[in-house]
Amino acid sequence: MGKIQNQIFSSYLRNPVLYDELFDKTGEIKDIYSRLFELYGGHTIKEYVKLNDKAKSSFFNQGITFQVYGEKESTEKIFPFDLFPRIIAPEEWEIIERGAIQRSRALNLFLWDIYHEKKIIKQGIVPLELISSSANYLNQMVDLDPPGGIYNHISGTDIIKHNDGNYYVLEDNIRCPSGVSYVICNRTALKRALFGVFNHYRTHSVTNYAENLLDLLETVKPKGVDIPNVVVLTPGMYNSAFYEHSYLAKTMGVELVEGRDLFVENDFVYMKTTHGPEKIDVIYRRVDDVFIDPLEFRADSALGVPGLFAAYKKGNVTLANAPGTGVADDKAIYTYMPDIIKYYLDEDPILNNVHTYHCSKPDELKYVLEHINELVIKPVDEAGGYGISIGNRLSKEEIEEVKLQVKANPRKYVAQPIMSLSVHPTYIDDTESFEQRHVDLRTFTIMGRDRDFVLKGGLTRVALKKGNLIVNSSQGGGSKDTWVLKS
Amino acid sequence: MPTEYAITYSCENKYENKVRGAHWQFLIIPQTNSSQEVLSIEFTNSLLEAESYSINGLGFKTIRLKTRKSFKSARFRAKMRVLKSEVNPFDFPLENNAEESYKELKSLNFRVDHEAFLKKTDLTTLPENSTSLWSLDTSQTVFTNLQNLNKLVNAYLTFQPSTTTASSTLEEVLAKRNGVCQDFAHLFCALARMNGIPSRYVSGFLHQGSGYFGDSQMHAWSEAFIPKIGWVGFDPCNDLLAGTDYIKVSHGKDYRDCAPIRGVLFTTGKNETIYTVQVEGDQQ
Amino acid sequence: MLARVANNLFWMGRYIERSEHIARYLNVNYFSSLDAPNQLSQSRQFVLRSMLFMVGNPELDDNVELEESQVLYKIGLDAENAFSILSNVKYARENANSARDLISTELYEAINKFYHYVNNYDADMFMKNSLHDFTVNVTEMTAVLRGKMRGTLLHDEIYAIIMMGINIERATQVIRIINAKHQDALNAQGSYGDKFSNSYEWTTLLKCAESYDMMRRFYKKTPTSISTLEFLILNPNCPRSVMNSLNQVYKHIKVLDPSKKYNKDSTAFLVGRVRSEYEFKYITEIEEDIQGFIENILNSLGLISQKMEKEFFNY
Repeated sequence: MGKIQNQIFSSYLRNPVLYDELFDKTGEIKDIYSRLFELYGGHTIKEYVKLNDKAKSSFFNQGITFQVYGEKESTEKIFPFDLFPRIIAPEEWEIIERGAIQRSRALNLFLWDIYHEKKIIKQGIVPLELISSSANYLNQMVDLDPPGGIYNHISGTDIIKHNDGNYYVLEDNIRCPSGVSYVICNRTALKRALFGVFNHYRTHSVTNYAENLLDLLETVKPKGVDIPNVVVLTPGMYNSAFYEHSYLAKTMGVELVEGRDLFVENDFVYMKTTHGPEKIDVIYRRVDDVFIDPLEFRADSALGVPGLFAAYKKGNVTLANAPGTGVADDKAIYTYMPDIIKYYLDEDPILNNVHTYHCSKPDELKYVLEHINELVIKPVDEAGGYGISIGNRLSKEEIEEVKLQVKANPRKYVAQPIMSLSVHPTYIDDTESFEQRHVDLRTFTIMGRDRDFVLKGGLTRVALKKGNLIVNSSQGGGSKDTWVLKS
Repeated sequence: MPTEYAITYSCENKYENKVRGAHWQFLIIPQTNSSQEVLSIEFTNSLLEAESYSINGLGFKTIRLKTRKSFKSARFRAKMRVLKSEVNPFDFPLENNAEESYKELKSLNFRVDHEAFLKKTDLTTLPENSTSLWSLDTSQTVFTNLQNLNKLVNAYLTFQPSTTTASSTLEEVLAKRNGVCQDFAHLFCALARMNGIPSRYVSGFLHQGSGYFGDSQMHAWSEAFIPKIGWVGFDPCNDLLAGTDYIKVSHGKDYRDCAPIRGVLFTTGKNETIYTVQVEGDQQ
Repeated sequence: MLARVANNLFWMGRYIERSEHIARYLNVNYFSSLDAPNQLSQSRQFVLRSMLFMVGNPELDDNVELEESQVLYKIGLDAENAFSILSNVKYARENANSARDLISTELYEAINKFYHYVNNYDADMFMKNSLHDFTVNVTEMTAVLRGKMRGTLLHDEIYAIIMMGINIERATQVIRIINAKHQDALNAQGSYGDKFSNSYEWTTLLKCAESYDMMRRFYKKTPTSISTLEFLILNPNCPRSVMNSLNQVYKHIKVLDPSKKYNKDSTAFLVGRVRSEYEFKYITEIEEDIQGFIENILNSLGLISQKMEKEFFNY
């Protein structure tokens, strides 16, 4: 038993300690994957390699690439893409979807509260220090009512499956979460390469993201605007997510603008067109808070629009996401999510939170320092997987070093038990075979006035280095198409 | 008896290299509040561009100017007339129960409501060795304590123009023990906040009729929040309470929230700003 | 449309067109020189100098011995040189990148493929034995791009702006090619008994503009200076002629500025003026002073470009 009989999986090594998405503990293929397993098994490794190369060149020709800056010249690379999809069963997806909406709603209510009466702090549920010491809390947003009452129009929720078979949320991203365009590109690439497999599964479409985004952005138009003029604001073509920005603008059918294309006159925002100024009403901005308006925030920002914040404050333009949302996706806030959900919605969290130790609390700091080898230590304000230490991977000296860092600045760190991300068979170029690799899932939730939408699918990110737990694309991660099956 | 002030703010910016287009924002219009009212504003500039008025992120009125012209220098002038009613800084009911005030300062609700003016900023962070420069004496009222703080800051620093800049930290200021009104205000705020008293940086104009420090520039002082009384203005630079001579423009966590001029320029190289302020009073 | 993006699309059109003309010029001059009827036209130095002259980087010192592979590299694949084919294609793609949301996926992918083709071309091979392969592919790929523009873009303002860029650039490049070959014809004069007006260089010139076959059909005679110039400058039915380019520019500026009102400051007015100047010209008037004509028309095209910038691309 446990022997995998399938050409392309003949050399697949299954580590029984890890939770494998395809195979159960005894090595049997799970029902949901069995048809796919047979279909892929019909290919030889050679054929598979060919398909894989084709898919890669399709990304390359579509210009879905990012720049790697070397010593002399920069080269273009594609985001590694794996042709073997991940499948999520309808009953599992239902939980993820409800859980993602629940979190987004709770975070929105939390943001409204901390920028208005601050009841949750006054009642002692969330400590004052979390906002007073957060660089992302903007005093400019206090008592400002964003159109439609929405702050986090777009949320990206990072979810993993632990070896207990349950989903856990690792992180909420409510500044400018990226990655949705890759969900759609992955689907396109897989359809091009292996269209036959789609006949055997009833999979939800992912191409309806842009239309829903536009619909929901239109619901948060400023007062007095009939048909809003929506634009996407990008930092420019050298930004690593530029492809996504142009993709979203194109599929929504709206203009893709840079800061220099806009100007503010009498607190209204206009773009400069070939026929003169045109007023704009809703800005889906992919520029960070501190760069959006050099007259209000960082004066050296060349990416922003002078006067934009005043126009926003006056209610003449909508910014999505609202400025100042960053305070709520701070990793320190994450740890209070179960309380935040309970407080505002009077519900229990649908998706689990990973238990978190706050180094700012003396007793928890003590526990962390004594158990570093069993924990992941994370700085609370770094994005992109930087600065993370995984306890059981550290040498004795490294542990001491981390201890010193944490002790020097406890507020800066939180610690969590080492979660064992589930693994998924992934084709590895070097060995020309399938191997187990850790995966996570980023879901995309959009909130408008009285309406929500969760993209049925998501970005399954793969840590391509063997044993690596960090799946972030800036750290060399790849991705997979993700199928949510219809019930 | 109210006083009518005629305030003239003049500013000249010179640039090393040609500027091709610019945006400016001036935070110089006196606030309209219970003791003052702006009667008129007359703004002119050498670029002959039309100005516009807006409200910044913290709620204060601004003058905006933008140009696409090329230039190497630009002059701006704002003439403002303000009616200021007579302010008696001691005109408030005295705290008869200091204990209750201290209790309120410590309460969570109070600290949450005044969160913005209780936290440290880059410009109001005390160096380690100076945190004990001043502490509350709970046997006296909050007001008396703040008067003492005003006196202490005034005595601790010496007024000395051009030794510090707008971005000087308290560490630099305390090392030299001299500075300008901004530095006095920052030190006051830092010590008050450290002791749990909400305190904010105030930018405005000072009528210099009676020979106060503050030269012919904009002035800076502080406001502290006293439970049951509210915000009270202290000028540590002159060891005074802010009275009729003080015409407030804006307040914030520190200088950065209140910078009178902000510019976004399309140029390279250095630039130089010279500005002067003239305040004339005329009792009605 | 955003003014900045319009500017980028305009230049995307110009760079694509420019890369094509350079590629063709390299190809035709190099290969026709191999069996040219006179010694000078066959001379490698003569051809290399002509190529450098055409891209606007002439070798001024008569005594310098040019190295063939170096010159080819410089004009073809040198990323350090702004006038190289590689640089032009790179700029075209950068401009397309910034307007990706406005152009069709098909057009973008074709431009992207074009860029990767040029960027990954083996430079050693190119210098040794693949000049023909490379230049023919470049011209064919630009033809594909033109097809994608016509067939996959909405014929609206976006299309009009790209076509304006292409046609202004085409007129400019054809004039530059005329200038270069006119110089060559002057230099090659009398070296083998053939006179200026019957120079072999006129055939080369027509081939550089892919107009040789059409011209033969139209005149049914061996090209002379006057018939060649007439065909390439004034014949509105020759797709590469200056006249045709001006007609195209006029047609497309009308899409951008449909106003019928009299406005002597508009770009449309200026284009119309330049166009009508050449519509009713005799070629003999031009032949009298070719240099004057070249300066005049290049100047007019420059003015049109500047005016467009002010009227439509001002951001």
